[in-house]
Amino acid sequence: MLHYNSRHMHHDNGIWVSADDLNREDKFLQSAEREFSLENVDQTDGKWEASRRDFLKILGFGLGAATLASCEIPVKHAVPYVSKPDEIVPGVANYYASSFVNGGDYCAVLVKTREGRPIKIEGNTLSSITKGGTSARAQALVLGLYDTKRIKNAGSVANGEVQTKEWAVLDREIKAKLAENGNIRIITGTILSPTAKKALAEFTVKYPNTRVVSYDPVSSAALLAANEQAFGIRAIPSYKFEDARVIAAFDADFLGTWISPVEYAVAYAKRRKIFAARGGKMSRHYQIESHMSLSGSNADNRILVKPSEQGAAIVALYNELSGSSGGPKLNEKAAAAIKKMAEDLRNARGKSLVISGSNNVAEQLYVNKINELLGNLNNTIDFSAPSYQRQGDERQLAEVVTEMDNGRVSVAIVWDANPAYDYPDGDKFKSAFAKVGTRISFSGTMDETTALCNYSAPKHHILESWGDAEPKAGHYSLIQPTIAPLFSTRQAEHSLLEWADSANLNRNDEQPYYQYLKSHWASDLFAKQTKFGTPAAFWDMSLHDGVFEMPAAARSVSFNSAASLDASAVTQPSNAEIEISFFETVNIGNGQYADNPWLQEMPDPITRTVWGNHLLVPVEYEGKKIKGWKGLIEGDVVEVEVSGKKLTCTVTPTFGQMPGTVAIALGGGREKGGSGTGYGVNVNGWTKVAGGLVQYAGVANVSDKTGTDALYACVQHHHTMGVQVQEGDKKVNADELEFFEGALTNRSVIFQTHAKELEKMGEKMEEFHAETTHLNEQTLYPDNKDYFGTGVKWGMFIDLNACVGCGACQVACVSENNVPLVGKNEVRRHHEMTWMRIDRYFYGNLENPRVVYQPMMCQHCDNAPCENVCPVNATNHSMEGLNQMAYNRCIGTRYCANNCPYKVRRFNWLDYTTADLWPGNEEKVFHANGDDKPFYADNLVRMVLNPDVTVRTRGVIEKCSFCVQRIQEGKLTAKRENRALTDSDVRSACQTACPTGAITFGNLNNPESSVNKARKEAGVFAYKVLEEINVRPGVDYTAKVYNSNESIS
Amino acid sequence: MKDNMTGPALGGVEERWSAFPKKDLYSWIRNSQALVAAGHPRAVEVFNQYNKILMNSFTGLSDDEIASMLLYIDAQVKGGDKPQPGAGGAVALEDTKKESSTPWMFIAMAAVLGLLAFALMRIIDNLGNVTRVQAGEQPVRKDWTQSLTSKGFIAFLVFSLILIFGYKSVDNATRMQRQQGYQPTQPINFSHKIHVTQNKIDCQYCHDSARRSKHSLIPGANTCMNCHAAVKKGTISGTSEITKIYASIGFDPLTNKYIDNYDNLSEKEIETIYKKWIGSEYMSANNLTALDDSGESAVNEQWDGVVKALKEDSNGKIQGPIEWVRIHNMADHVYFNHAQHVAVGKVECQKCHGPVEKMDVVYQYSTLGMGWCINCHRETEVKFKDNAYYQQYERYHKELKDGKRDKVTVEDIGGLECQKCHY
Repeated sequence: MLHYNSRHMHHDNGIWVSADDLNREDKFLQSAEREFSLENVDQTDGKWEASRRDFLKILGFGLGAATLASCEIPVKHAVPYVSKPDEIVPGVANYYASSFVNGGDYCAVLVKTREGRPIKIEGNTLSSITKGGTSARAQALVLGLYDTKRIKNAGSVANGEVQTKEWAVLDREIKAKLAENGNIRIITGTILSPTAKKALAEFTVKYPNTRVVSYDPVSSAALLAANEQAFGIRAIPSYKFEDARVIAAFDADFLGTWISPVEYAVAYAKRRKIFAARGGKMSRHYQIESHMSLSGSNADNRILVKPSEQGAAIVALYNELSGSSGGPKLNEKAAAAIKKMAEDLRNARGKSLVISGSNNVAEQLYVNKINELLGNLNNTIDFSAPSYQRQGDERQLAEVVTEMDNGRVSVAIVWDANPAYDYPDGDKFKSAFAKVGTRISFSGTMDETTALCNYSAPKHHILESWGDAEPKAGHYSLIQPTIAPLFSTRQAEHSLLEWADSANLNRNDEQPYYQYLKSHWASDLFAKQTKFGTPAAFWDMSLHDGVFEMPAAARSVSFNSAASLDASAVTQPSNAEIEISFFETVNIGNGQYADNPWLQEMPDPITRTVWGNHLLVPVEYEGKKIKGWKGLIEGDVVEVEVSGKKLTCTVTPTFGQMPGTVAIALGGGREKGGSGTGYGVNVNGWTKVAGGLVQYAGVANVSDKTGTDALYACVQHHHTMGVQVQEGDKKVNADELEFFEGALTNRSVIFQTHAKELEKMGEKMEEFHAETTHLNEQTLYPDNKDYFGTGVKWGMFIDLNACVGCGACQVACVSENNVPLVGKNEVRRHHEMTWMRIDRYFYGNLENPRVVYQPMMCQHCDNAPCENVCPVNATNHSMEGLNQMAYNRCIGTRYCANNCPYKVRRFNWLDYTTADLWPGNEEKVFHANGDDKPFYADNLVRMVLNPDVTVRTRGVIEKCSFCVQRIQEGKLTAKRENRALTDSDVRSACQTACPTGAITFGNLNNPESSVNKARKEAGVFAYKVLEEINVRPGVDYTAKVYNSNESIS
Repeated sequence: MKDNMTGPALGGVEERWSAFPKKDLYSWIRNSQALVAAGHPRAVEVFNQYNKILMNSFTGLSDDEIASMLLYIDAQVKGGDKPQPGAGGAVALEDTKKESSTPWMFIAMAAVLGLLAFALMRIIDNLGNVTRVQAGEQPVRKDWTQSLTSKGFIAFLVFSLILIFGYKSVDNATRMQRQQGYQPTQPINFSHKIHVTQNKIDCQYCHDSARRSKHSLIPGANTCMNCHAAVKKGTISGTSEITKIYASIGFDPLTNKYIDNYDNLSEKEIETIYKKWIGSEYMSANNLTALDDSGESAVNEQWDGVVKALKEDSNGKIQGPIEWVRIHNMADHVYFNHAQHVAVGKVECQKCHGPVEKMDVVYQYSTLGMGWCINCHRETEVKFKDNAYYQQYERYHKELKDGKRDKVTVEDIGGLECQKCHY
C-alpha cells in the first residue's frame, strides 16, 4: 500500500466525490457525460414494448378519449361553511405554535395549516433552545399524520391486527385487569412533559404496584449517571458551542443526532460562518471517532481511533492535561494527535468544550474531569438550566425484563417505546413480554412491540394532541392540536387518567386532557412565574408563543472529589481484526422515524444512500486504484457476524472510515410498521451490554462478497456536475495522473482553504473573479442590467461554512413543493425527484478527508442554458430573475435537463403523484412494504400536499422555483399593506428550515437586504459555481474555510 | 318592512295611525318616548305590545323628510317602479350588433375573391388556348366536371379543408373545458339582482375574503343569517328559498332562536319545525286559521324543495352546508388570487364576472381563458403611484417623470410571465 500524503496534493483545490471519481471509472464519467444513463432510459422495465401498430392504436384511442372527455365537463360543487370560524380564511394559511416531541427529541415549531390541514412545519424563533431552527425529523412530522398505516381504532390485537373495540369496552376490560392488583410496569421513552408525568403519578397513586421505566432508543444513560456522580445532577448541561474556541467530541454526533442537535448546530455555526473565519473567531473542532459521523464530517481534525479505543483516547487526553500516566494503550498516531489537541485545549482554557457520546460511565466521568481541568465548568458547560432531553436508563428496563421473565408482571404498558425492536436481546424481551398477562400499547402505528400486545390504545398523532414539554429546566413548550383527530384515537395521558379513575379528568368535556393540561399549568406552573398576573393570561400568551421560559438562576457546579476516576473501568482496546460500530443517522434514528418516507428518501449526508442501512467499510487503494476494503464495491453483499449473530448486509465503501473498522447505522430492518418496513437490517441485536449499559460497538467477522444488492440505491453519481472527462482530445486516465485527483479539481465548484491562509486565498479568488469576468464579458449579447435593475431581483447566498449537512432544508423543500416520493427502486434508476440536493465533496487527506456540503438547487441563471433549448418555451426567464418552469407547457423533451450545467432539473418519468388524468399511467413504482401504489395515491396522504403548488403529472420536468408561491404571497402582502417589500416577507422553505442560517434569500436590488449584506460580508470569497461558463447564476456560495491543527498529520 | 319584527311592520303605518292627526305620527317618529310619556293611546299601545323596546329618536328630521320616508315605505310595500335598465345594457346591445356585421363582410369578401379566382382561371384557360391555337393545336375546352376534377382544384380543396379543420381543431382544443355562459341551477334560487341592485349590498359584504385571499369565498349560512334572521321572506320566493338557509344552519324563524342540538335531529323532526313555519306564513298570507288543501300541498312542495336542495348524498342529512354548483372553474394549474385583483389592482368585480347585479341566476360571463387574462394584463394600468410597493421600480418612475412613458401596465411589471400564474 502506498503512503499518500496530502501535502503532495497536486492542486490546492483538490476535491472528489467518490472512489469512482478518483479512479475515473467509466460508469462515473458516463454519469457525468449524460444526464440520463442509457440503462435508465428504459422507463418501463421492459414490461411494455411499443410497436408502430401499438403507437397508432394508442394515438387513435387517445384522440377519441380526449374528444369524449371534452364533451362533458363534470359538475363541480363549492361547499361553504355553515358557520365560518372567524380565524379561518379559506386560501390563507394559519400558523399555530406547537412542539415537535418524539421521546427526547425536541424542536419548537410553528405548524402551517390551510383550511384546517397541517401541511408544513416551520421553526419557532421564540424558543431560546432551537431559535427557529428545525431538523429533518421535525420537518417530516406532518407526513406521519397522514400515514395510511396508522392504527385507526382502539381494540384488541391478534396476529398483528387490531380488532376494533369501543373505547368504553376497552377501558372496562383494562380497568378490570389493572384492578387485579398485580405488578404494573409502564415502559416509556424519555418523557419531556411535566403534565404527562403528573398523569403518570396519578396512575401510580391509584395502582401503587406500578413502576415507570424509561429508556432511550439510543442511550445516554452513562452521561446522566456520570453527571450525577460528578455534579450531583442527573441531567445534561447546556453546552455552549458558541463560546467554545476548541471543541473535542469523542464519538458524539452533536450536529446530527446527539441529544439536542438543532440547539447545538445553531450555536456551533456562530463560530464557523465566513465572517467568524474572517474575523479570526473561528473555532477548531476535533472529532475522535472511527466512522465518519455528520459532526466528524464538519470537523477540522478527525482523530481516528477504533471503537474500543474510545476509552483509551479519553484517558490519554486526561493524562496529557493532568500530567498523569497509565490507562489503556492507544494507537500511536492518535496518541500523538491527542497530545497536540490537549495543547490546543489548554490554550483555550474556559473556552473549550469536551464531550463524549460514550455509554460508559467511567469514560463520561473522565470527560467531566477533563472539562473541570480545562476550566470549562460553569463556562461552556452550564448547569443553570439543565437539559432533560435524555432521561432513560436501560438498566431499569433490563430489571423489568427480568421481572417479566419471572412472571412477576401482570400488566405491561408500552408508551413511546419499541423494545421488541431495539432491545439488545430482542428474543429475550419477546419471550419475557409474552409472559405478561395484559400487554397494552399506546403506539399510533403497528410496530413490533404493539404486535405482541393484546390491547392497542392508539394515541393521537402529536399534531392532534394537547401536551407540554420541558426540554430544559424552566423552558416550557406547549403542544396544541392543529387538526381534529383523524381517527378514533385518544391521548395516552387521557387513557392513563381514565384507567386511574382520575377525579381531575373532566370526562364530560369535549377535550378532557386539554382541561387537565390547562389546570396543571394554572395550578402548578403559574405559581412559579411572575410575568403574568392571571392564569388565563399566562396560558393564552404561552399558547400563542408556544414556549414559556423562566429566567434561570445561575447555578455553578464543581467536580465531586468522591467521584473516582478508574482507568480500568473504561473500554479496553480489542485486538480484533475488524471492529464494528453502530451509529444513529440524522433521518431514521434507531428506527423511530423509519416509517416516514420523506426521511427514508432523504439521502444520508455522508454515504448518500437511501432507504435502508448499509455496512460502511474503509476504502483502500492499490496503485491508482481505489476500492473498498476486501475489494468490495458499493452494492456488494456480505455476511457479517457479530457476537455469533449473522446478518446479510449491503456494503458502501466510505472515505474517512478507519482502516480495521466497519460501521452500520441503527434503525434499519423494521419488521412491523409502516412504509419503512423491510429496508436494511436490524443491528440492535449486535449491540452488547456492559455494566448494564448498551455499547454501540463490537467485533465483527465480515465475509467476502456473496452477492450484489439489486436494489442498492445511492444518489452519489446521479446528477454529477462539472466533471472534466477529457483533457484535449484524450480521456483522462487515472493511472496516468501524477496524483490522485478528482475530476472536479479544476472546476470552480468548491473552493477551500485553511483559515490562516485566508488572505492568500482572497488574492486567488480575486484573480479568479477577474478571470471569469473577463471571460464572461466576451459576449455578443447585450447586458441585461437594465432589465433586471428595476423592481425585484431574487437571489440566494449560501455559506458553505455554516452548512453542516443536516438535511432539514431538503425535507422542507419536499414538504413545501409537493416533491414526489419515488421509492427505492426508482432512486436506483436515477429517478429521484428532490429539487434540492446536498452534494458532499471530500477534500484533503485521502485516508482521513474533510468534507464540504453544498446545497444545490436551480441556480436561476440569468443566462440560462436550459431556457434556450426548450422547443416550446416552457422554461423561460422572469424580470425578477426567476428561471420559470411552466409544467403544463412542458412536453418532456428533457433537453433542458441535459443542458443544465448544475443537473438540477428532474423529470417525472412516471406518474408519481397520481396527478395524471389516466389512471392507467399509475405504474407500480413505490416498492415499499409490498405496496405498489404510488406514494401519493391515497387521499389521506394527499392531504399533506401544499394547495398553492401544482402537482406535476408524468412527462414533465420540474425544479426549484425559489419557492415562487412564497414570493408571490410575500409580494402581495406588501402590496396590500401599501409598503415596500422587506426581507421577512419572502423567505424560502430551505432558508426557514436551516438551523444555522446557512441560506439567505432576498432581493438583490435592495442594497439593504440580508442577502446583499451576506454577499458583501463574504466579499471576494463569494463565488458562483462554475462561474467561468457565463450562465450568471442567482446563487452565490462562499469558499469553505477550515481551521485544522496542521501539526497533526 | 312588511312584517312585524322588533317593532311593527313599517308598511301600513299611516293607515294604523289614521285615527290620529298626522302630526302625532310625525312626532312618534321623531321621539317616540316623548309621546309615550305624554300618554298618547296609540303610542302606549305599541310600546307595550313590543316589550317596551325603545325606538331611536331622530329629533333632527324635518316634516318633509318624514313625508318622503313614508312615501318611500308606501311605494316599497305596495310595489313601486321597476328598476331601470342601466347604461350597460345599451353597450352590450351595440357589441352584439358589431359582432353580427363581421361574418357578412367576410362572406362578401369571399364571394368577391371567389369570382376573381374564377375569372382568372377563365383567363388562364383562354390564354392557354390562344397559345395552343397559335401553335396550331386544338384548343382545349374543359367542361365543369373536368375543371372540378382537375389536379389544381382538388389540391386547392384539400388544402382548404386541412386549413379549415386545422383551424377548427385548434380553436376547439383551446376552448376545451371552457364554459363561458355556464348557468347551472343552484340549490337555492338566489338572486344577485335582488341583493345587489335592489338591496344595495356590497359584493364584499358576502364575498368577504376576496380582498384578503385567493378565494372570493361563497359565504357561509351564518353570513346569510346576518340579514335573514330578520328578513324571513323573499320578495319573489316567499318562504321557499330562505327556509333552506334556516334548515341548513338550524334556525327556527318562529321562535327566532337557533335550535339546540340541531345536528342530531332526525329528518322528521326538522320537517315538523319548518313545515310549521311555512304553514304559518301561508296561513297569515291568506288570512287562514288552519291550512286548507292547497296550503297543505304548497307546504309539502316547499318542503320537498328544501330537501332536494339540502339533503346530502353522502350522509342523507338536511343539516350542514349548502352545496352550490361551482360556476367559475379555473384549471388546476392556474393560480388566481382575488386579493391581488380586488385589494391591490382595485379591479371591479364586474370586469370579470360581468353584470352580476343584473343576474337572477349567475352565469359565467368571461371565457376565463388565458388569452383573456393576458389581454387584460396588457391593457391594465398599474396603480403605480398610489402604492409604496411599486417605488422599487425606479426606472419606470424616472421614465414617467421624464415623459418617456405615459403609463405602466401589468405587462411592464412582469404580468405576462408564466410564473405569475403557473407554479
